[in-house]
Amino acid sequence: MSTTSIVKVVDRTLAAIDPAEGIAAVSDPSFGGIDVFIGKVRDLNVGRAVTGITYDLFEPLVLNEFKRLAAEVETAFGPKLKLYVAHARGRLGIGDVAVVVAAGSPHRDEAFRACRQLIEAVKHQCPIWKQEHYQDGDSVWSEGCSLCHADKAPGHDQHHSH
Amino acid sequence: MRQVNLQLFGAFSDLEASREIVVEVAGGTVADLRQALRELLPQRWPEFRAGLLDYSAFADQQRVLRDPDALPADGRVAILPPVSGG
Repeated sequence: MSTTSIVKVVDRTLAAIDPAEGIAAVSDPSFGGIDVFIGKVRDLNVGRAVTGITYDLFEPLVLNEFKRLAAEVETAFGPKLKLYVAHARGRLGIGDVAVVVAAGSPHRDEAFRACRQLIEAVKHQCPIWKQEHYQDGDSVWSEGCSLCHADKAPGHDQHHSH
Repeated sequence: MRQVNLQLFGAFSDLEASREIVVEVAGGTVADLRQALRELLPQRWPEFRAGLLDYSAFADQQRVLRDPDALPADGRVAILPPVSGG
């Protein structure tokens, strides 16, 4: 059995990301372990009250990168593996789901590790940007990871927390 | 000189409501585009934090481009500031 991966971008004005869809996508009669990461918009960042986040994506490249990263994860933890990645675009409110990554495999260890590797890569290597909106009316684009040397090593500070 | 249609993302999208600018580039590589922007940004958008350019990558529709790479034949390039997905 080869890996099946499903990747998508979901426009918030059209739909919300459904984690249950991710679980169904990585389910298989031969799989005993599924790990799911759900990223949600929280109401505080670095001491500032947040009212929402707008996600901007370069969609063709995002989808290419999701597929490429899923293939890397398959190489590491496959071949018995199913992966799912969905990321929101547009303006989200507090508690809205921004991203879901799911991994299914025969046993839990591969599922946990595949899911973790994939969400970290999605956060650090894909052309996605968030603009935080604050209670005081201000909005700021988040500082993130530079892609200038993405083909070498993730170009980010190891001490960051985003 | 050649024209590049630069698609704007993240913080750069605040520059123009259309999310795209035309840049005149004296050369055929991504490095030449970066240099053109280094001159253009402070002139046209003096309020913008032009230093962000140093941490930004460029891409065509399929992949991230490196500074020695040739500019795409169709003249469409995206500028990718540091990313913050998830």
